Amino acid sequence: MVNKRKTTLVVALIAAAAVIILAWRPTVLIYGLQAAGLYASIAVPMGLILGIVHIVNLAHGEFLMVAAYATYLLCKSLGIDPYLALLPVTAVTAGLGFVVYKLTIRQTLKAPELNQLILTFGLGISMTQIANLLFTSQTRKLSFDYVSASIDIGELSFGVYNFVFLGAALLMVVGLRWYLTRTTAGKAAVAVGQNPRGAAIVGIDVDRTYGFVFAMATALVGMMGAMLITRSAVFPTVGSPYTMKSFCLVAMAGIGNIPGILGASILLGVSENLLKAFRGLRGWADIVFFVLIITVILGRSIRGKKA
Amino acid sequence: MKKALAILMVACLAVPAFAQSGGTIKLGGTWPLGDITGKQGSMAAQQAVDEINAAGGVLGRKLELIVIDDELKADKGAAAVEKLVTVDGVDALIGGMASGVALGQIPAMKKYGKIVIATGAASYKVEEALGPDANWYFHLHPWDYNQGASYAQGWDEIQKKYPAVKIRKIFLAYEEGAFGKSSFDATKVLFGADKRYSIDGASFKSAALGGGDYGAVLEAAKEFKPDLFLWAGYDADALPMLEQAKAMKFTPGIYLGAPPGWPVDFGASKLSDNVMLYGMWAPSINDVSKVSKAFYNGFVAKYKVEPATYFAPLSYSAVYIYADAVKRAGTTETAAVIKALEATKYASPLGETITFTPSNIIKHQGIKNQKILQWQNGRQEVIWPFEAATAKPVYPFPKWK
Repeated sequence: MVNKRKTTLVVALIAAAAVIILAWRPTVLIYGLQAAGLYASIAVPMGLILGIVHIVNLAHGEFLMVAAYATYLLCKSLGIDPYLALLPVTAVTAGLGFVVYKLTIRQTLKAPELNQLILTFGLGISMTQIANLLFTSQTRKLSFDYVSASIDIGELSFGVYNFVFLGAALLMVVGLRWYLTRTTAGKAAVAVGQNPRGAAIVGIDVDRTYGFVFAMATALVGMMGAMLITRSAVFPTVGSPYTMKSFCLVAMAGIGNIPGILGASILLGVSENLLKAFRGLRGWADIVFFVLIITVILGRSIRGKKA
Repeated sequence: MKKALAILMVACLAVPAFAQSGGTIKLGGTWPLGDITGKQGSMAAQQAVDEINAAGGVLGRKLELIVIDDELKADKGAAAVEKLVTVDGVDALIGGMASGVALGQIPAMKKYGKIVIATGAASYKVEEALGPDANWYFHLHPWDYNQGASYAQGWDEIQKKYPAVKIRKIFLAYEEGAFGKSSFDATKVLFGADKRYSIDGASFKSAALGGGDYGAVLEAAKEFKPDLFLWAGYDADALPMLEQAKAMKFTPGIYLGAPPGWPVDFGASKLSDNVMLYGMWAPSINDVSKVSKAFYNGFVAKYKVEPATYFAPLSYSAVYIYADAVKRAGTTETAAVIKALEATKYASPLGETITFTPSNIIKHQGIKNQKILQWQNGRQEVIWPFEAATAKPVYPFPKWK
C-alpha cells in the first residue's frame, strides 16, 4: 500500500514537472526525449552484455564506429539509404562480435575482471587506430532530407527525426524483455546471467549462450551504428564517448535492469537539456550526468544498507 | 700491392668528403600524420621535393625529405627535432600544424638554430616563446591575431563593395573547448570593440568530443536574429548543425563556419550551398593561379586524391621557398640561406606572393591574411580578398525549402 502510494506520488511529480517544462520551454522536453532515445538505444546492448556475460565491454563504442563506417561505405558505394544497409551491417557486426568473443573475451572469462577491462580497452584502441589508418581523422557524413523533417507549432519549429532513436530504444527494451522472459533461449540466457554454474549443471551450454548474447548485443550496436550515420558524421573516435555514457547509464539503472536504462536515459536527457536552456549553466550539462549517477548509486546503497 | 692499398685508402677517405659536398640536401619534416592536415601536408612536401629533383635538384644536388610523425604531441615533436638534427643531420626543418607541438619543439629548435619554415602554429603563444631573436624561424601560417584582423577587414570591404550585405548583429556558436572559447573571445574583441556590431554567442559540445546536439545553441541564435551566424567547431559539426538549422528553419543573413577542416564530400551535400567559410586555399583558386593549378594537378596525379586542406599547398610552398633560397644563396650554409629567405618573393599556390615581414614579435612572418570563401555548387569559391576572388557572394543565405 505504502509502495503504491509512493509510486503514485513519483508519477504525479514527474507529470507535474513535465507539464511545467512544456509550458515554460517545450524544446527542453522535446530535445531531452530525443537525446534520451539515442543514449538508451546505444546503452541497452551494453546492459545486455553486462547483465548476462558480466563483462564491461570498453570497446562498445568502437563496435558502433565500425558499424557506422560499414554503413557509410555501403551507402556511398551502392547509393542506398542507411535503413537499407542496416540489415547487412547488423549481420556483419553480429559476426564480428561472435568472432571477437570466441577469440579474445572467452579466454579471459575466468581471469580477474581487470584483465577483461584491459582486453576490451585494448580492443577499442586497436579498432580506433585501424580506422584512423584506413580513413584518416577526416570526418564523413551523408545527408538525407528526412533528417531535417520538422513540425511547426506557432512560432516554434523543431526537428522530429531524432524521435526515431526513442522508437528504437523502446523497441529494443520491449523486444529484449519478450526474448528474455518468453523464449527458451532467453530464459536460458537469464539463468546463465544469474548463476552460470547452476545453469551449466542443468545442461545449458554457458559458452554458447555467452557467445550468442555477445553477438546479439553487437548486432544491436551495429544497428544503432547504421542509424547513427543519419544524424552524425563518421570518424574514428565517433563511438568512444558512448562507451562511458552507456556504462554510466547501465550502472545508474542497475545491472540487468534493461527497462531502467530507458528511464535513466530520459532523466539524463531531460536534465541535460534543462541545463542547456540556461546559458550560464550550459557547461554544466556533463557534470549533471555524473551528479545524477553518484546520487542514484549512493541512494541505492543507503537504501540497501537500511534494508 | 702497397701502392694499391694506399690508393684504396685514399679513395675510402675521399668518399665522405664527396658525400658531404655533393650529397642530398636534407629537409626534416614533422607533421601529425594521423590527421588529414599533417598527412596531406607531408604528401604535398614530398610532391614538391620530387618536382624539384625531377627538374635537376638544387645546386646540382637532390633534395631529400625525412618525415617524422609528431602524433600531435609536444614531446614527440621535440624528440623528432632532436633526431632530425642530430641523427639525420638535416639542413632545415619544415612542417608543423598544432601550436601545442610547436611550443614543445621550440627549446630544441633554439638549441640547434637550424632554419625552420613553419607551416602551422597559429597561436600568439608560439610567437612569445620564440622571442625576437629567432631569426632562423620563418612562419608561413598567419598568427591568430592576423587571422582575426583579416576577417574584420574582409567583412568591412565586402560591405563596402556589396551594399546589400549589412552586418550589425553577429552570433557565434562556439564549441565549449579552448578553441571555441578563444574564438569567441577574439570575436568579441575584434567586432565588439567599437560598438559597430552587436555580438552574442553560446557554446555547444562538439560532435568530435561526444556532443552533436545543437538545439539549444541554435535556439539562442534564432532568438538573437543575427545578420551573421558564425560557428567555431570541428568538421564533425558541419553537416549535423546545418541539418538541425534546417529543421528549426533558422536562416541568418550569412551562415559561416570556421572549422579547421571540412568533412569529405561536404560540397556534395545540398545543404552546403551558400555556406561561407574562412580558409587559405580552395581548388577554385586554380582558376586564377597557374601555380595553384600546377600544384593541384601534380597532387592529384601523384596521390589520386584531391588536396582537402590548405596545409597541403602551404607545405608545398615551404619546400619551394627553401629550395629557392638555397639556389639564390648558392650554399646551404645557414646565415646565407637566412639572408636569401629574407628576400623571398614566392608566387605561391595559395593565390598570393609570399614575402617575409616582421609580425608583433618575430622578424619573418609570411602570410598575414586569411580568405573569406563560400560554398557554391559544391565548390569553395573565394569571395575576399577581391584580387583572388573567384565568385561574387550569394547573399542573403536562402530560406530553407
